[in-house]
Amino acid sequence: MMWIVQFFMGLGIFFGIFGNIGLLRFPDIYTRLQASSKCSTTSLFSIFIACMLLEGFTPMTGRILLIALFFLVTGPVTSHIIGRHAWERGVIPWKRKKVKD
Amino acid sequence: MNVFLKWKIVRIILTSLYLMVGWILFTGSLALFSLFLGGMFSFLVALLTYSIFIEEKEAARRSLLPHIYLIVIYIFVLLFKIYLASFKMVFSVMKGNINPRIVHFRTRLKSDVARVILANSISLTPGTITLDLDEDHLIVHWLNAKTTHSHFASSLIKGHFEMWLRKIWI
Repeated sequence: MMWIVQFFMGLGIFFGIFGNIGLLRFPDIYTRLQASSKCSTTSLFSIFIACMLLEGFTPMTGRILLIALFFLVTGPVTSHIIGRHAWERGVIPWKRKKVKD
Repeated sequence: MNVFLKWKIVRIILTSLYLMVGWILFTGSLALFSLFLGGMFSFLVALLTYSIFIEEKEAARRSLLPHIYLIVIYIFVLLFKIYLASFKMVFSVMKGNINPRIVHFRTRLKSDVARVILANSISLTPGTITLDLDEDHLIVHWLNAKTTHSHFASSLIKGHFEMWLRKIWI
C-alpha cells in the first residue's frame, strides 16, 4: 500500500515541476496558462489521491473527496477567468511563423 | 395554490436537500444534533439562495435531477483524460514544439449546468482552454492545433464529453 502512496506523491511533484518549467518556457499568456493550470490540477489531484489512500476509509476521506470535487469545479474556472480577461483586453495569441499546411 | 408558489417551494426543498447532502459528507457523523443543525442552516441558506441555485425558467426534470451513477462514471473518465492530457503537456514542455490556434464552435447542449461542465471539461483536457462561453458559442485556445476547420475541431475537442453530458442531462 505504501508504495502506491509514494508513487502518487512522486507523480504530484513531477507534474508540479514540469508545470513551472512550462510557465517559464512558453512564449505568451495563453500557452503559459495552459501549462500552469493543467499541470497544477494534475499534481494536486495526485496528492489528494495519495492522501485518501494513506487515510483509509474514514470521515476524513469524505472531506478530502469533497475538497477534490470542489477543486475540480474551481480549478478550470480560475484559468478561464484569466484567459477570458486577456481575450477581452485584445491580447493577440502567439503563432508559429512557418506553418506547414 | 398558485403554480409559481408551488415551483418556489419545490426549488427551496431541492436546494436544501443538496446542501444537506454536502453537510453530511463534510461532517461525517449521523448524530441527531448535527443533523438538526445542518437541516436548519441548509434551509436558511436555501431560503436566501434558491433563485440563484435553480433559475425560475430552468424547469426541465433532468437539469435538476441528473443521472447520478453516470456522473460518477463521467468523473472517472475525466480523471483518466486529465492524466493523459498532463503527460502530453509534459512532453510538449520538454520538446517545445507547439502550434497554438484559436477555434470557435457551437454546442448542442440545452441546460446551463451541462454547458458549464462542458466548458470546464474542455479546460481540463488536452491542451485546450475555454476563453469564452456565450450561450452556445465556445471560443477555445488550442495548444497543438491539428485543424482550424470549425466542425472537425469541435468533434476533436468535444469528442466524448458532449455525448456523455447529453446522456446525463437529457
